[in-house]
Amino acid sequence: MQTIGELQKKVRNASQLRITNSVDESSDELLNMKSYSGVVEYFPEELVITVKAGTLIRDISQTLRKKNQALPFFIEDDEKTIGSLYATAGSDLSDSVLGIQIINGKGDLLNFGGQVMKNVAGYDVSRLLVGSMGRLAVITQISFKVFPEKMAQERRVKIEKKNDHSPLRKQIEKKLKDVFDPYGVFV
Amino acid sequence: MSIISQLSKSLPKNIIISGEENTRPFECDGLSVYKQKPLAVVLPNEISQIKKVLEICRKNKTPVVTRGAGTGLSGGAMPIKDSVVLGLSKLTKVISINPQEQTAIVEPGVRNIAISEAADEYGLYYAPDPSSQIACTIGGNVAENAGGVHCLKYGLTVQNIESIKIMTIDGDELVFSRNDDGLGLLALMTGSEGLLGIITEITVKLTKKPELAKLVMAGFDSVRDCADSVAGIIRHGIIPAGLEMMDEFAIQASEEFAKPGYPLGSKALLLCELDGSEESVIPDVDTVVSLLSKASSIRVSKSEEERLLLWKGRKAAFPAVGRISPDYYCMDGTIPKRHLADVLEKINALSKHYSLRVANVFHAGDGNLHPLILYDAGVPGELEKTEEFGNEILKLCIEVGGSITGEHGVGVEKLDAMCFQYSDAELDVFHQIKAAFDPQSLLNPGKAVPSLHRCAELGNMHVHHGNLPHPELERF
Repeated sequence: MQTIGELQKKVRNASQLRITNSVDESSDELLNMKSYSGVVEYFPEELVITVKAGTLIRDISQTLRKKNQALPFFIEDDEKTIGSLYATAGSDLSDSVLGIQIINGKGDLLNFGGQVMKNVAGYDVSRLLVGSMGRLAVITQISFKVFPEKMAQERRVKIEKKNDHSPLRKQIEKKLKDVFDPYGVFV
Repeated sequence: MSIISQLSKSLPKNIIISGEENTRPFECDGLSVYKQKPLAVVLPNEISQIKKVLEICRKNKTPVVTRGAGTGLSGGAMPIKDSVVLGLSKLTKVISINPQEQTAIVEPGVRNIAISEAADEYGLYYAPDPSSQIACTIGGNVAENAGGVHCLKYGLTVQNIESIKIMTIDGDELVFSRNDDGLGLLALMTGSEGLLGIITEITVKLTKKPELAKLVMAGFDSVRDCADSVAGIIRHGIIPAGLEMMDEFAIQASEEFAKPGYPLGSKALLLCELDGSEESVIPDVDTVVSLLSKASSIRVSKSEEERLLLWKGRKAAFPAVGRISPDYYCMDGTIPKRHLADVLEKINALSKHYSLRVANVFHAGDGNLHPLILYDAGVPGELEKTEEFGNEILKLCIEVGGSITGEHGVGVEKLDAMCFQYSDAELDVFHQIKAAFDPQSLLNPGKAVPSLHRCAELGNMHVHHGNLPHPELERF
């Protein structure tokens, strides 16, 4: 089990790092998040769960099911980690994100959003990074709004993503990458 | 050539307002304690004029403050010194409604309620309902990520928009949509308080109107019993459409003003609205009533008139408080619901400490507190004392793991409080995001994100997710 401090150190020492959730190996160029796992906090009456990014979706669902609650977004494969789904998902998942903890390319530990449903302090970084493919920051922890099982079911609609190739959008995305990862560590 | 002459040269004269007296109506937004007159106000009646305004402001390095209806409560639309206010309230076209897809395409100046009115014939409505919905514009709603009383079930603005068109400070147009592959730029733009771009068109999601809505009202002899009941309802798997709480003072003020028949003498009041199909609402009402065993009184609305009457008291809470005090200051913090009773107790202790009365209304479902601090701006020093009290409440919110603003935004009002919620490194990320869109910092500069210098002067009281520096110290 890695600690946050160890993850930060690894980012600081790396010149290039690929974040992975799917394999078990680890190397100087590979940051394996799968062992950074577990439910951090879960308050059923708040409809909020906070999990470490390497937690398997199956395990999160199991915890929630005990209280008749569920994650309210499309899940194709619950053997994946929640971090890998966050990295590739779209607005269906981001609708349920309340907050994140990340390590940026400089190795700083940062928090955005929180564990409350309404929070408009600062730009919405915790939803901005949904779908960022692990190229902007290491997502270490995510808080989600959950729903009673039946309502969660109704919300599980797959979103067909469309690629906008406009040069201006690309330019903005590049600038935003530089904000989080100025040295280009995450590849 | 002055900027006013430049604007007049390239735009119709009747959309430009300048001069001391003429710009006065625009000197503040809904937070009227802060005022500043702009150089000029431009009220475009065509989207194309926005581009021209930005071009001229860019050339002159003049700040641009985008404004909707000016109903915001944090000074987000308050003019900056020597700025041009870009008022979008005349762009009021509902461009199209698609009842099959349940969407509507609208211009930014369309009022929130006007969308629901336009969609009514299809049995649809726009769900987010900030209390200013008869006046506030959808563009402003997106810029602030506005909430309302139905967020727990239906979400905030960010969950209720499909796509937006924006114009960058350089006059380039972009579309951000829910279906975008890549970063969540639609979410980033939502709630960005006019600092990143101008929102020129919005496609909103429409929701089917519920078959039936019923309101359960319950009075309690203690705040804690009421808070426990809220937790009990949600734990049971019921997500009410609205779940509102009021404290004794707010109950009393609302009853005197709107006479909805609230139980005077109760320490807390719960309003719980259930909506949906008849088959789901009727049993849910029974379940909720059975979960309210700690209530001292319960009333269930028997008609639509009765339901609206019971809501009327809650919706009139602000003016009701306004009637019994020369001024009041509306706070907006969020907390995890489990800390509600403790936080209200501490707010009452602070109220005694500052000798300022406070009435609490609360979106209990999503943990959004609106303490109304009563004060008299005519008494020297009382506004400052009120602001200090307000900041203490916001610190409390962060100490228990909440946020300094749930739906009103940071604007100019909560710049100091931002220093409590975020570290320098986090604030620096915000500044850099701003620079990525607006490197010259011309769009609503100085709002929403405090300078690191400002936070340093405040002494960097950054409260990190409940971990306050020196937790052993008493704070009030």
